Amino acid sequence: MSSALALDLAQITKTYKSGSLEVPALQGVDLRVERGEYVAIMGPSGSGKSTMMNIIGCLDRPTTGSYHLDGEDVSRLDDNALATIRLRKLGFVFQGFNLLARTDALKNVALPLFYAGIGARERDRRAMATLQEVGLADRARHKPSELSGGQQQRVAIARALVNDPAVLLADEPTGNLDTRTSADIMSLFDALHAGGRTIIMVTHDESIARNARRIVRLLDGRIVADDAVAGDRSFTSF
Amino acid sequence: MYFEEALRVLVANKMRTFLTTIGLIIGVFAVISIEVLGHSMAGSISETLGALADNSFVVFPGSFQGNFERAAMRLSDLSNIVATVPNVATAVPIGGQRELVRYAHNVGRFTLSSDSNPPFANLPLAYGSYLSDDDIANARDVGVISWRAYQRLFPAGGDPTGESIYAGTHRYVVVGVLAEPRRGVLNVNFGGDVSIPYTTYVREFVHGDRIFAARFTVRDSSTIPQTEVAVIKRIRELRQVAKDVTYQTFDKAAFTGGVNSIFTAVTIVVALIGAVSLIVAGIGVMNIMLVSINERTREIGTRKAIGARRGQILWQFLIEAALLSSFGCFVGMALGLIAGGTINNVYIVKLTGYTAAPPYLQAFLITIAFAAIVTFAFGLYPAFRAASLDPIEALRYE
Repeated sequence: MSSALALDLAQITKTYKSGSLEVPALQGVDLRVERGEYVAIMGPSGSGKSTMMNIIGCLDRPTTGSYHLDGEDVSRLDDNALATIRLRKLGFVFQGFNLLARTDALKNVALPLFYAGIGARERDRRAMATLQEVGLADRARHKPSELSGGQQQRVAIARALVNDPAVLLADEPTGNLDTRTSADIMSLFDALHAGGRTIIMVTHDESIARNARRIVRLLDGRIVADDAVAGDRSFTSF
Repeated sequence: MYFEEALRVLVANKMRTFLTTIGLIIGVFAVISIEVLGHSMAGSISETLGALADNSFVVFPGSFQGNFERAAMRLSDLSNIVATVPNVATAVPIGGQRELVRYAHNVGRFTLSSDSNPPFANLPLAYGSYLSDDDIANARDVGVISWRAYQRLFPAGGDPTGESIYAGTHRYVVVGVLAEPRRGVLNVNFGGDVSIPYTTYVREFVHGDRIFAARFTVRDSSTIPQTEVAVIKRIRELRQVAKDVTYQTFDKAAFTGGVNSIFTAVTIVVALIGAVSLIVAGIGVMNIMLVSINERTREIGTRKAIGARRGQILWQFLIEAALLSSFGCFVGMALGLIAGGTINNVYIVKLTGYTAAPPYLQAFLITIAFAAIVTFAFGLYPAFRAASLDPIEALRYE
């Protein structure tokens, strides 16, 4: 196994049981993502992309198959061990931003550091540095309600980055934003990618997906296409 | 951080926080105010009882009607009992006689009572001294008067020792005045208005040998109950009374025990009030915690996705519950101390003169215990539920 791999999913299946009925959500998915890649995962609803996202994000375990994240086998870990993996290796960006409403931007960004047991002074210092990275240092003391949608998403991205994760995982990051703000967020992702971040983005929006360098398409729980985005340095994992 | 966030949540929902804690406030308020009052009452009563001698007891016939003629002890019985019942050191008759008492032009109707040395109740003196052994041995015409009698007979004040007062045709020289008594919650007066030597009393008032009651002192106060039984047995033998005649005793331990059992009952009632309000208030806290967790399902999902472990979520909500219950409990404590202290000042202190510091430490410990029980009994389950949420479900929750 190459140490350059950020993600390595091998023959992942996920089956949901509903009474006696078994619903297969993923039926043998192989996906390898190298460090520094910028990948979009696309698919219509019911294609299994949410399930895929949950497994990549260590919120759920595969039924069968193996999953290595940043070189570590995470497919059979218990809840608390998964929480630690999420804390150390993953950064989440949600469609609805999911910031703590009564808490200012700085404290929102510092939250993962708190769970990591880092002291208050160091938390604030690192949260401030990360806010600077997303261009919001001057909004550090603002509450989410005092920020625009695009600014809120930047805070959320800063929160995802503050622990220096191996993979940045974004679930419809522009779903709640207008076109202009979406473009703004996408250029931030571009900059992060250029800085060497590994980004996985789940979206159903073709134009958003084209910002990535590689698009993986899911249908009925299988990968049906895996292409480099035209006009870029082409790359496939096969 | 946990504390800060919990505080922010509670402050953001001021009305809800306040309404939830009302049950706790009322419960702790009731318990603490009764505690403060009870403490003061018990202190005042034990102060009153503290004056009673604990090496003696009093025996008197159980019924004063019909059988009294037969049941009444004879003066001669007392020396017999001292001689025959072990542990009895002395025996003196007890009696009282209402008389018109006069000094110069001041007159009052007071009880002349027999007294011995040491007296039954050690009350402080305002003037002079108690009756001496010599006064008693020689049956002198002397008396110690109460504050009440002093005020009536000597309205001009001043030291009355050496002055003569008249009861009927008898003349008594005042040797001492008891200090103004603290009335105590029980409002009992253990000293007579005019206490004269029991020997003098017997000479002047006991006719035909019959006495009303007797006081016995013992050598070993730890066996008073057994000695009481032995004395009554001896009296029955000497008087040869029928089974239906009974004798009763009065001693400090029995009296204190009676008072203590009242306070035990009060304590049990307070504990019950506390327990009921604890449960009611606790359910309120649990309910609001469940509501709060339900409202914040997505937030919990986000925290979990970010990497919060179960224990960290549990801790956060437990601290929120602790803060909520502590707030209610300490507001209740403050109100209880204020109310209990005020009632104490306007009622007990004024009435009895008993001033003791309120039981602050006890109140504090009760409050802490209340808050801790509510937190753990009613806050743990909601916190556990929050910690157990599935992050995927929680994130999807609208």
